[in-house]
Amino acid sequence: MPSYTVPYSALATEASLVKTELVRAVENVLDSGRYILGPEVAAFESEFAKYCQTKFAAGISNGTSALHLVLRGIGLDDGDEVITVPNSFVASASSIALAGAKPVFVDICDDGNMDPQRLEDAITKRTRAIVPVHLTGRPAKMTDILEIARRRNLFVLEDAAQAVGASLDGKRVGSWGDAACFSLHPLKNLHAFGDGGMVTSQDQDLMARLAKARNHGLANREQCDFWSFNSRLDEMQAAMLRVQLRHLDAWTETRRSLALRYNDLLRPYVAVPEEGPGERCVFQTYVVKADRRDELRQYLNERGVEALIHYATPIHLQPAAKGLGYSASDFPETMRHVGKIMSLPLYPTLTHTQQDRVIEIISSFYRKN
Amino acid sequence: MQVKYSYLDQQFAEIEAYFRDLRKLVASGEFTLGPFVEAFERKFAAYIGVKHAIGTNTGTGALILSLKAVGVQPGSEVITVANTFIATVGAIVAAGARPVFVDCDERYQIDVTKIESAITPKTAAILPVHWAGCPPEMDKILEIADRRGIPVVEDACPAVGAKINGRFAGTFGKVSAFSMHPLKPLNVWGDGGIIVTDDDRAAEFLRLYHNHGLVDRDHVEIWGVNDRLQPFQAVVGSRVLDTVESLVEARIRNARLLDDGLKGLEFWIRPPHRPAGYREVYQLYLVTATRRDALVKFLIEHGVEAKVHYPIPIHLQNAARNLGYKRGDFPICERQADDIVTLPAHQHITKEQIDYTVSIIQEFYR
Repeated sequence: MPSYTVPYSALATEASLVKTELVRAVENVLDSGRYILGPEVAAFESEFAKYCQTKFAAGISNGTSALHLVLRGIGLDDGDEVITVPNSFVASASSIALAGAKPVFVDICDDGNMDPQRLEDAITKRTRAIVPVHLTGRPAKMTDILEIARRRNLFVLEDAAQAVGASLDGKRVGSWGDAACFSLHPLKNLHAFGDGGMVTSQDQDLMARLAKARNHGLANREQCDFWSFNSRLDEMQAAMLRVQLRHLDAWTETRRSLALRYNDLLRPYVAVPEEGPGERCVFQTYVVKADRRDELRQYLNERGVEALIHYATPIHLQPAAKGLGYSASDFPETMRHVGKIMSLPLYPTLTHTQQDRVIEIISSFYRKN
Repeated sequence: MQVKYSYLDQQFAEIEAYFRDLRKLVASGEFTLGPFVEAFERKFAAYIGVKHAIGTNTGTGALILSLKAVGVQPGSEVITVANTFIATVGAIVAAGARPVFVDCDERYQIDVTKIESAITPKTAAILPVHWAGCPPEMDKILEIADRRGIPVVEDACPAVGAKINGRFAGTFGKVSAFSMHPLKPLNVWGDGGIIVTDDDRAAEFLRLYHNHGLVDRDHVEIWGVNDRLQPFQAVVGSRVLDTVESLVEARIRNARLLDDGLKGLEFWIRPPHRPAGYREVYQLYLVTATRRDALVKFLIEHGVEAKVHYPIPIHLQNAARNLGYKRGDFPICERQADDIVTLPAHQHITKEQIDYTVSIIQEFYR
């Protein structure tokens, strides 16, 4: 593996900042002897709900399972359709397929998220739900999406996997839809030290069902009300997540100031992720759109900067999606987007020196060529 | 005297060695799959004596994926027992199939004489459970399965370390699932599971499916799930695995002491028949007891944390309503639901605690 002077992530460095607190949290769980759905999960759920401005939150084993369980909970029949975007991590669509419905894609806007203008055309008699994705930590156009969803009586599940703390018009993601799913994967802004996920909602009945659905359908130790899965958030991860959550606002602020600094300094060379009106982005990934992207990426990588692409193949063109019948010409904005996007290193422990190095390499690439 | 059911605070009283290992994990930043999970998978495969081991997020996940790996799909039927943890059956339904139950025998294991008549053209797998950590009669199950051309998936969730004539549970079926839940013989600090198989194609499918169907970072071959073993838990599991043989031996020792202590009370309380060559790991120490509910209450009042696994057989759960079973369908299983009790007999129980448990039982029946 090449060694980068500016690696894409720095999880070990981040963990070292709060190591004492993390170790204490782990020790508390060990001393309690409670490893499954104990007090740490319960406390983290209420703290997370408060953070997202919702009434309820439930810990789930990972973000994918969170999507899957909520979609199963709305009772999809064979042939039902759920609308999402092709420009996302595969779980946004695979969770729909696994819940028994057909993923239907709509194209994105210039900002990489669902285009509400195109949403209405994708709705059919079989549409049951809409899954807008807050990709990269930017809120989707929820006001417009919800207006359509309410008018057409459709369930809205926010895929907020990458967007904890982001808001639109002062209202946090996770509090807009009928329910929302978060990922707590290690590369997320609020992360476990392994996999983790959350569901938020204002709907008490939905959450009561979900509490059973994540735990084998058990109403209590002895009574099973419906067949389901084991998709519980680990008590140990919850204990460490409570530590992380206490630092989230500070880390998000650092992330945002670094992102806005990138924006200012990179604007002459590439299309930078500007915040739209009312948007507060949390920049889980910092994605620019660049001309001659592949060359630039190689140029960066050769000079010690680890740049990635999220995601190089849109979901509708994956081998797994063959049965859905889409072709490369179906979503022009997504295709334009996919050819230009590149994710640059951004995390709270990234230094200005490292950042300047990234900027200098990008500027030299465009000056020389 | 207190005789507690859980022993986790004792098992993990000395944690420095675990923390040393975890520090290495944290320093590496490898929190999703990666070298720590791979090392644990190799170590577990070597312990059981199989070619492939694939870590999963839970034992339930391990079961679902194992069933899918042998071709269980919507419309299939899978044969199992109704006296097991709900996840055995939940996994069948999650794989899209219909659970078909057969009764158990007096050892609480699947009654091998009832399997053949439950087979239909739709049967896609037989899923025997090593219930309570005790192997069922795998040779007879394999004989039927091979003759009928049906794959066997072992639900070895409670049974890491169990053996028949020296051969480990998990090596009999085409694919086998284990749980590493905190109360299992090989346990981690939360949920965890692991699948074993000698079949290369099954292993290839499982590696793909348990990580979103991703062949590499950018390419998705099939719709998959996220059912990965956490590296954190792999690190813990790896260290526990070093001790698992001695844990199992301690459990066996304590179970024998309890068996001996209960001799003379056979009229009221009886351990199951324990055939030669079967190494049970006593994930649950089960006995059949007269006036079970009153006994459990009496034991608990006297500080002995007895439990019941489980009072409601699965075919009588609310979730099973649409399967069309009724009380009376599985008489032995139903009778056991009324008269089994689980006594604390884990590796940290002392001789004094066992003597005390026996004395309370004697007092109850006197």
